[in-house]
Amino acid sequence: CKEDFLEAKPELNLPADQAFDTPARILLQVNGLYSSAKNGSLFGGRYMIYNDIRGEEFVNNRANGVTGYSVWQQTQTADDNYITNIWSQGYLTINRVNQFLEGLEANSSKIEATLATNYKGEAKFIRALTYFSLVQVFAKPYQLDQGASKGLPLRLKAETTTANNALKRSSVAEIYAQILKDLDEAETELPDNYGTDAERRTTRAHKNSARALKTRVYLAKGDYAKVITEANKIVPATAPFVSPIGVSNALNPSVTTTYTSYTTLESIFSFPMAVTNVPGTQNQLGYYFNTGGGANLEYFLNKSSNGIWGNAQFRASDDRRTKLIGGTAASPCLIKYSNVSPFLDYTPMIRYAEVLLNLAEAEAEVGDQVRARALLDAVHKRSDPTYDFGTLDKDALIISILTERRIELLGEGFRANDAVRRLQPIKSLGAGADIPPSDARYNFAIPALEVRTNSAIND
Amino acid sequence: QTRTITGTVTAKEDGLPIPGVNILVKGSSLGAQTDASGKYSIALPEGSKMLTFSFIGYYTKEVTVGSTSTVNISLEMNSKQLGEVVVVGYGIQKRQEFTGSAATVKGDLFKEMPVQSFGQGLTGKATGVSIVQPNGLLNNPPVIRIRGVNSISLSSFPLVVVDGIPISTSDLSVNSSTNNPLGDINPSDIETVDILKDAASTSIYGSRAAAGVLIITTKKGKQGSVKVNYDGWYGVNNAVRLPEVLNAQQYIDHKNAALARALVLNANAVPAAQRDANGKSFFPAFNADGSLIDTKWYDQIYRTAYSQNHNVNVSGGTDKTTYFLSAGFTDQDGFLKSNEFNRKTGRVTLSHKVTDWLKLSTGLSYANSYNASPNSGSSPGSSATSSSAFNSSGLGRIAVAMAPNVAPYNADGSYSVSNNTIGKGNNLVPITWSNPLVLIDKDKNSSESNRFIGNLAGEFNILKGLTFKTSYSLDRASIENIQFWNPLNGDGYAYSGRAYNNTANRNNWNWVNTLQYLFALDGKHNFNILVGSEAQKTRIENWGAAREGIADPFFDQFQGTYSSNVSAGNDINQRMLEGYFSSVSYNYAGKYFVSANLRRDGSSALASNNRWGNFGGASLGWTLSEEDFYKNSSLSKVMSSARLKASWGKVGNANISNDYGSYTTYAAGNYGGNYTWAFNQAGNNELKWETSNQTNIGFDLGFMNDRVTLEANYYYNNVSNLILGVPQSPSKGIPDNKILLNVGSMYNKGFEFGINAVPVRTAKFSWTANLNVTLNKNEVTALVDDNTPITQATGNLETSSITKVGYPVSSIYAVKTAGVNPENGRRIFINKAGEKVQYLHHGGANAWTYLDGTKANPVNSNDAQILGGTLPTWYGGFNNTFQYGNFDLGVNFTFSGGNYIYNGSRAGLLDQRQWNNSVDVLNAWSTPGQNAEIPLAIYGDNVSNGSSFPIDANVEKGDFLRLQNAVLGYRIPQNVFGKIGINSLRVYAQVSNAFILTKYSGADPEISTNGNDQLAAGVERNTIPQGRSFTFGLNLGF
Repeated sequence: CKEDFLEAKPELNLPADQAFDTPARILLQVNGLYSSAKNGSLFGGRYMIYNDIRGEEFVNNRANGVTGYSVWQQTQTADDNYITNIWSQGYLTINRVNQFLEGLEANSSKIEATLATNYKGEAKFIRALTYFSLVQVFAKPYQLDQGASKGLPLRLKAETTTANNALKRSSVAEIYAQILKDLDEAETELPDNYGTDAERRTTRAHKNSARALKTRVYLAKGDYAKVITEANKIVPATAPFVSPIGVSNALNPSVTTTYTSYTTLESIFSFPMAVTNVPGTQNQLGYYFNTGGGANLEYFLNKSSNGIWGNAQFRASDDRRTKLIGGTAASPCLIKYSNVSPFLDYTPMIRYAEVLLNLAEAEAEVGDQVRARALLDAVHKRSDPTYDFGTLDKDALIISILTERRIELLGEGFRANDAVRRLQPIKSLGAGADIPPSDARYNFAIPALEVRTNSAIND
Repeated sequence: QTRTITGTVTAKEDGLPIPGVNILVKGSSLGAQTDASGKYSIALPEGSKMLTFSFIGYYTKEVTVGSTSTVNISLEMNSKQLGEVVVVGYGIQKRQEFTGSAATVKGDLFKEMPVQSFGQGLTGKATGVSIVQPNGLLNNPPVIRIRGVNSISLSSFPLVVVDGIPISTSDLSVNSSTNNPLGDINPSDIETVDILKDAASTSIYGSRAAAGVLIITTKKGKQGSVKVNYDGWYGVNNAVRLPEVLNAQQYIDHKNAALARALVLNANAVPAAQRDANGKSFFPAFNADGSLIDTKWYDQIYRTAYSQNHNVNVSGGTDKTTYFLSAGFTDQDGFLKSNEFNRKTGRVTLSHKVTDWLKLSTGLSYANSYNASPNSGSSPGSSATSSSAFNSSGLGRIAVAMAPNVAPYNADGSYSVSNNTIGKGNNLVPITWSNPLVLIDKDKNSSESNRFIGNLAGEFNILKGLTFKTSYSLDRASIENIQFWNPLNGDGYAYSGRAYNNTANRNNWNWVNTLQYLFALDGKHNFNILVGSEAQKTRIENWGAAREGIADPFFDQFQGTYSSNVSAGNDINQRMLEGYFSSVSYNYAGKYFVSANLRRDGSSALASNNRWGNFGGASLGWTLSEEDFYKNSSLSKVMSSARLKASWGKVGNANISNDYGSYTTYAAGNYGGNYTWAFNQAGNNELKWETSNQTNIGFDLGFMNDRVTLEANYYYNNVSNLILGVPQSPSKGIPDNKILLNVGSMYNKGFEFGINAVPVRTAKFSWTANLNVTLNKNEVTALVDDNTPITQATGNLETSSITKVGYPVSSIYAVKTAGVNPENGRRIFINKAGEKVQYLHHGGANAWTYLDGTKANPVNSNDAQILGGTLPTWYGGFNNTFQYGNFDLGVNFTFSGGNYIYNGSRAGLLDQRQWNNSVDVLNAWSTPGQNAEIPLAIYGDNVSNGSSFPIDANVEKGDFLRLQNAVLGYRIPQNVFGKIGINSLRVYAQVSNAFILTKYSGADPEISTNGNDQLAAGVERNTIPQGRSFTFGLNLGF
């Protein structure tokens, strides 16, 4: 028998044993990890969108189950396909990271040591970002019981075989510990910056990306001191707030160009889009929030009093209202994502403005109220220079900072997570009710698909 | 003294010579056969006087030879025995020598049916064969199952062999039009379809035959004068069994009432901006003339469709050369608007005897098949696991769910649209659906195939009885898939217009060599020995691109101007197969039959270490009625023939959809402007053959001189090493959450009965009847590890199918309910613990409660239970032909049952969002104490009626009896034509899908939203219905 006649090798996919053959190929794998995370069902759109529509800011306009109607109404079940996809795509990304880290270790001789170290940092950054995003929506908040609740299956080894289907959930605290371990290591391993390459500086992780993400993680833990420690690495004590180390991250003078130039110094980390690499049908941020030209206005802004649209802190003169909100008087809509069809708006994942607000909140809670106020002013007055917060006591300051987050981070995937981390009820517009932490709907249920295949998930 | 007798054997009916007639000198072992022109020559020893002429399908004749040396004989056809010859693997066998299990269907019936492929015409015709037409979309590939479902993850579609060529059967359309490769074969060109069912018959095909083999023999020329035939029909087709939905006023009233209830529970059930001060959102709208807008969407989406079909063939031959030429044209319209199928075919077969030791034969056929269809939501989809059922542009769903109080056009005649949906009319809530007329008028989806199938064979007679045959064939198809999505509404909206063209070139070649030795010893020991080899390679190259962002709606084609071009539909796949085989058949005096075959196959789709497999089978037969003791018994007076047979065989299956399943791979992609590699497949480098061990035991009996024949078989097919995409827990992060493994086993077992009878036969009137019944039981006996069940979703969305040990493949998996609570109108669900939990939409934290009102955990699909199998446990056909003078009447019933169907479409019909509903919602629960089947309607409720997860209220039995078709024909007496040259003319009228008796409430009990996917069979979800057609045709012979 001629063996060669029966040899059919894949011609368009790369056999795994050749994946680490050259430095160039290893770099493409690093890109692949980011690309996996930016999939439309995760950070390319759905994850962010679902966090926004679970709260009070948006009105569902289409009653379409495929575009989050049940999530908006809080009637989603463990069978929801798109929530399952968030879970699956998250874990696919995590496994790709695990596999990459193991492969890199085994092939360390193939590339320069510095590059290998940088790549490890990038992989861990992606793993941390993914675990953190999943634990926020699929588990009870850390601050409910200091992380004692069931969290997620903690998968750190490459999976390529049928073994290990059953794995019980680690506690929320254990997941947070792993996230912070990854980020601490990433901070040492990642490059300081990417020279003058604004695209890479925005779309690939650097040290400041890890530091910035840590401020978000510690904030969710309620560990305000650590928020301040981490934020202080990239935020000076007083204005002007420009990162003294690594990439000179700072607020962009104009809030609007942040969403059109994509790679300003304000964007610490974003997921890029390109014509060849769009989020895919019904996943695009612009498709949901914008209207016309291929966008479908799935959600418009809630004009009633509990929505941020009607909040006094969000004045008519605010750039974020005049330039980032459009639509009609009856149904105003977010036009932050204006590059529609093809949907090329980057997903803003971590902005310097958020870091300032993270730090402000931590300072307000446990530290320097004056600095907290200065940080708040820096963010707000960029868009509404004449606004005066007046005198704020500690509680009012915290409320103002939280309100500022709703204005500044509107449509960027923060709303529900911000409520949940502080154990506030989710003010669900669709459910017409507040969802308290004790309610099963406070977080997404573990997908039925996982329950069916992982016999230890409920152990 | 020996003398030589010569002569010609002809058929009494038409006077044509019969080749291959066996001539025996009675009382000796001397014998001869007639040649291609029916001529024979035999040495008659001194003292012998009697010659026996026998040929399959004819009455055996004994002739006493006088002094003459020329004996011309005419044989009378034995018409009660149909299918006397069985086309088996790499050859032909006489029915009486065949000890396997096979069914033969004559091709004549296909040419009159308003079908696109012959497969649709096989329904109910062959014992053991189940054929389901998934829906009424033209040229949708039928679901063909021979003796149950014979694999779980691999294709259960049989191997299709046309004139010895295994042809490709994969649908290569990449858009919403189908492209059924069986539709490239002109049904009029088919002489017979032989269906091989047991392993002893199929194992010669080794690894491709686990799901049975369909052997198609096309029409060939016969020696004699030139014959010309024309067949044509004209047909009309309409959709049937469309559900009755609310009219505009009913819709408005029902939705507003449901909304009022919802607002009590959730003040934002509909946002304030989308209702008036009275909490109403739905309002009548009026035409310019003041009349109420009450759109009958069925009339907008469906139509009365007309079709026509024409075929001409010319055939004839001399003693050396025979030929057959045909040309066919069919132009068919579907009852779904814009659904078209047309085909142009040409076919030539030629056989020429070059010398007395060399015969060459060739067949060339060309088909141009054009399929076009709007997005019906009913095409099988590009992968087996992803049907298009939930496509938001699927017209099957829009037709029922679109609000009746909106109109497709604005008053100025323009399309009513609002962003990606239809304009909401006077309603305050937006309507979710796209305007179907925009989709029908402006979107284009087509798949056009140009297919050439050709073969060249040489047959060398080396010695008497020893023949070497070599045959090379080519099946080459070039398929152009064109998709245009308009920028205005529908799938193209988000792209601002999109054109996606793809070309698939499928090149399949096959080379078979066989050496066959036929000989007899002592005239009683008959041997047939065959050895051979086969090699096959199929390579499919797809390339394509999508262009997005149209410059101007003026363009409706790929070649227009667009803002971006992206790669789409690029792929390369290939598969090779290599096999070596041999078979031996022996019979002793036509009484005892033994045959055995062996095959060694290698497939490129398996892991390199496990690529080769050995398969084979053996069978035994005993023709009891040939024994002297039987002939002398009184039983022979009643039972004229009796035969027992048994077979066992082992066949393989490697029909994995993935050509490269043994490889762990990375796929390339993009990250912004950069390139990527990412882990995309966990392979299995141990992947090996699926094997099935098949046993068949049966008997053939004939009564009243074979006027009634009965064939019965018991079969047992045990499949092991099943290749499964074994589900991996999603948290492991395995791409697609699946790894292909050889695990698991299952069996199909059952009985088949076929009765052929001629209840009435007089000079003027005859009635022939065929009844076939198959009883099948399927059960999965092992799966992976701890027997983790495999669930499968329809359209990647709705998981209603489960495959689990102890149950049939693809059982229905849904949550049990206990009806509607008479107290409050809420649906009562039964959770895993067996507790009754009621649901109140917009009930917030208290949506799920026990009947006493205390809070309960939400019910979801984790509470689902197995509610029944989807594979029919009994099915068959009852076919009758009546002849009275020049009239003929065919009445063919099909029946099937014992299965359950998940009627997901009904969940949609009762969904309480702004979708239109079945009129059944008018009987929903409304007052305390009422026993209702449908819960209290609360606006927005997608849980209570099964849209959110499947419930048992939408599970129904699938039993039915259908009048599949009835045809009435009249043969115009030949004397009418005088000498104008017409030999025969028959006209007929036919109705297909005339009626169906069933309690199933959905579109059709024979429906398969997921097409050929055996893991999610028996699901109806948003699929267009079946049609009923009337056909008028004629057959003309010169």
